[in-house]
Amino acid sequence: MKAAIRMEVLKTRGRKIWLVVAVMMAVQLLWAGWTISNKDADDLIQGWMFFLYQFPMLNCIIMPVIAAVVASRLSDVEHQGQTFKLLETIIPANRIFDAKFIWGSIYMLGAALGQLAIMIGMGFALHFGGPVPWGALAGYLFFTVAVSLTIYAFQQVVSMLVPNQMVPMTLGLVGGFIGLFSMFFPQGFQKLILWSYYGVLMQVGMNWDEATRAVDFYWTAIDWSGFGLILVFFGLVYGIGRVLFVRREV
Amino acid sequence: MLKRVLKAEMIKMRHSPVWLAFLLIPIIPAFMGTFNYLNNLGMLENEWYSLWTQHTLFACYFFLPVLIGIYASYLFRLEHANHNWNAVMTAPVPVTQLFMAKLIMGWLMVILTQLWIGLLFIISGLLAGLSGPIPPELPVWLLFGALGGMVVCALQLCLSLVIRSFAVPVGIALMGGIAGLALLSQGYGLYFPYALITLGMRANDPAAPMAVGEIQFLIAGAVFMAGFCLFAITWLKRRDVVTG
Repeated sequence: MKAAIRMEVLKTRGRKIWLVVAVMMAVQLLWAGWTISNKDADDLIQGWMFFLYQFPMLNCIIMPVIAAVVASRLSDVEHQGQTFKLLETIIPANRIFDAKFIWGSIYMLGAALGQLAIMIGMGFALHFGGPVPWGALAGYLFFTVAVSLTIYAFQQVVSMLVPNQMVPMTLGLVGGFIGLFSMFFPQGFQKLILWSYYGVLMQVGMNWDEATRAVDFYWTAIDWSGFGLILVFFGLVYGIGRVLFVRREV
Repeated sequence: MLKRVLKAEMIKMRHSPVWLAFLLIPIIPAFMGTFNYLNNLGMLENEWYSLWTQHTLFACYFFLPVLIGIYASYLFRLEHANHNWNAVMTAPVPVTQLFMAKLIMGWLMVILTQLWIGLLFIISGLLAGLSGPIPPELPVWLLFGALGGMVVCALQLCLSLVIRSFAVPVGIALMGGIAGLALLSQGYGLYFPYALITLGMRANDPAAPMAVGEIQFLIAGAVFMAGFCLFAITWLKRRDVVTG
């Protein structure tokens, strides 16, 4: 397995995948800076909660794109060179699948850590009110990684099975948009859609007073049943996808 | 010659799955926008104009840049595959015409997309029970949206020419759309290609005149367009192709 992962590392060298992740993080930083720029001192008291509410919403769009791009980059190199045939004569197909997933996961983890760094950095720089909610920030990282890896697994399956990378890219984008939009729907509906789990596992809620147009954030209980469901989704997507990849005729 | 290259491009696009994206992707913001409109009737009182803001809110910032990114990536996909650049670059066709044919093809798809968005807007309005007349400004919104889209198309073609991946330019398009939202709110929309779609379609306030003035918009679009075309043609002329 170590050799298979090392091979993935070598194949991605010079392909600037980290640059893609960095650009996405830069946009997220720009967004965070823009949304927080019009907040006054009173609003900044709830700064941590504001970020813990905003970032999962933005993740519905950003993380599926990162997953789609990374999965496409890691798989397209094999489609373009028609190397799956060669690879599968020297490494079992399931190991290729696992190695690509592990290496792709590093990028997803990097993106999630980048977001956390943006939140903490901006929180300290702008002197958000109250103590730093380390527990909630750790929870954010944990849930973001869990959902992102599930979405990444889905993207990897489609990218590896379909040579035309337009298909996984479009599916990923449409999924992300539906995930964002599903936040308007009841939670029961949200839980049916993979991409909406960033919202399901949010730790902060928002009250909006229509009359005063004032916004107030509050802590919510973690939806552990939702977390259980995303784990089930992960198992299904990964398991079924791996079987499909192993069994397919190259 | 250009006509023949264009014909070749059309053959390449025939039966392509990109038409599926063309049909399906604009339906999502139309659905989202109409849903949002119907849920906020108390605040959105300006009938068709309010519905337009809700439709374009999602379309301009997220969907259109992405869709145009997909078109552009698809237009260069075949060239990047296998060793096709060798065949393309040794054909007795000037590179300017090669690029222009792709650009015209992209423009055509952008115009068709705008027409489809306009049709979806009318259907959504009728289904939502709007009784007033359809805004007479709709063709102008669509036209200027198409012009903005054409600029984005030229930019995306440049990206898809340089970046051999299908996915990366599409990801950049989405990021561009999101960044456009922030830059537009700061008043820098005219200087950012992705924000031109929003400006052109009057996404923020369709009842008011365009925030920057039509002439300024057209000049900015022309400058961007010339810059992107020049870049792509120079790139094709100067750089050796990478195949495989």
